[in-house]
Amino acid sequence: MFDALEISASGLTAERLRMDVTAQNLANAQTTRGADGQPYRRKEVVLAERQAGGGFGAALQGAMSGGSPGGVEVAAIAEDQTPLKQVYDPSHPDADANGYVQMPNVDTVAEMVDLISAQRAYEANVTAMQAAKQMFSKTLELLR
Amino acid sequence: MLFDTTQLALERAIGGAAQRQTALAANLANANTPGYQRVDVDFHSALQGAMATDGDQHAAVEQTAFATRRDATAITRADGNSVDAEAESAKMAANALEQQAAVSVAHVRIQILRSAMGVM
Repeated sequence: MFDALEISASGLTAERLRMDVTAQNLANAQTTRGADGQPYRRKEVVLAERQAGGGFGAALQGAMSGGSPGGVEVAAIAEDQTPLKQVYDPSHPDADANGYVQMPNVDTVAEMVDLISAQRAYEANVTAMQAAKQMFSKTLELLR
Repeated sequence: MLFDTTQLALERAIGGAAQRQTALAANLANANTPGYQRVDVDFHSALQGAMATDGDQHAAVEQTAFATRRDATAITRADGNSVDAEAESAKMAANALEQQAAVSVAHVRIQILRSAMGVM
């Protein structure tokens, strides 16, 4: 009965993680030495549909009805493999022999757009959760 | 019997609305999932079909099962996702109102039964 709340909660978790990763990208927009000594690469959350609970019953029901909804899950946090930016700055300690520094492939404007999109999706999930909560409490009125 | 077919249909409608809420919530949760096709529950036509049977209406309504189905008619975005957040929110609001209407009617009908039984 409380599937709807769980599904919305999975949406909240996923969108929250998208915001965290976007914040990580923005914070590292100028990082020339990442964990592996290489310039930071932009990270992106890969979302996937989650299938409802395991077990034979759920699988059979899913096959017969076209799948009962299970929400969303994070499949991976992938690194963006687009080329790093080359910036001419000979005074930078990480500049190569020609004076070029490899900067992260983070586009701050695109990150801001991602941030807003994640925020709006988060709000949509909160609204869905409130609607489900309202419906459940209305159903309980039958007992009064 | 204590509960007539209308009361049963109201209860099934409340259940159907809850199932639909689950489907719509899943759509909103997957608003940014590439390749996701939206799902929906058409409990209206399932119940309508059961109410329209010539035979045992009560049994037909009782046995109606609602299926959560992929919506193949929805317009798909470039990333293969067919969720329109605004449309889902509108459907969700309408669904919640329908559910509340069904609950209110069911509640009043139970109140009538209660007063008839003398258990106020």
